[in-house]
Amino acid sequence: MRLLFITTLALGLMAPMFGALAHHGWSWTTGGNIDLTGIIKTVSLGNPHGILKIDVEGEEWTAQVGQPWRNERAGLKDGDLAEGVEIRVIGEPAADLSKKLVKAERFFLGSREYILYPNRD
Amino acid sequence: MEALFAALEGTALAQTLRGSRWIYAGVNAAHILAIALLVGSVVPLNLRLLGVWRGISREAVVRVLAPVAASGLALALLTGPLLFSVRAREYSAVGFLQLKLTFIAVGVLATLALCRTHGFLLKDAPRARLVGHAILSMVCWLGALVCGRLIAFAGD
Repeated sequence: MRLLFITTLALGLMAPMFGALAHHGWSWTTGGNIDLTGIIKTVSLGNPHGILKIDVEGEEWTAQVGQPWRNERAGLKDGDLAEGVEIRVIGEPAADLSKKLVKAERFFLGSREYILYPNRD
Repeated sequence: MEALFAALEGTALAQTLRGSRWIYAGVNAAHILAIALLVGSVVPLNLRLLGVWRGISREAVVRVLAPVAASGLALALLTGPLLFSVRAREYSAVGFLQLKLTFIAVGVLATLALCRTHGFLLKDAPRARLVGHAILSMVCWLGALVCGRLIAFAGD
């Protein structure tokens, strides 16, 4: 019985350790926005997250964009996010900035703005 | 292997799942239901093997909970690969998924070995053997659950 409790407890305690790596939601981000402009290198759209690799002045950043329905709601059409396209991303970076990972709240292609999360600034 | 995963991602089913809102959400929900059935029955079953609820016969507990656990496992084995297919190359490289699959394999094999020796209802199994199995089973299935959840928190 004691062993069982220890095992359960140990597994339960493991979970928060990985909180800093979090991926969904906003708990892993800084709470403040950054503004990046770069050239899209790779595009991987679809569930559970759309992922862009962006060349920002020689540094490779990863930007999380929406799931298909969220991108569509923002007005994005198939092929808008493509390799070689310039993009300006505004969103919250991962708290660990060295990861160069940002979750986009909105982005610009040219002068057109695409708002993924209308209720966030 | 990489080519195989890429081919899996390219199947019509994977493409549909990747692009849909409600089908993907539905498969996701079905996978959670599967885990609920599986872990929700494995935990009380193991607790019985460890000596809790001695007033209820082990056979009665096994008769109710083992089929539920097996159904949950079957549904998980159906829905899990569907979720995997959406981003097979990315997920195959995630350590938590590999660890989760290891836990599942050990959990299933240990259960099959136990039933092979002592029968589905475990009638003649010695107590030490049942306790040992219950502890291993707890570690495997709770470990699989935790590792599965962490896949979503360990990417990039």
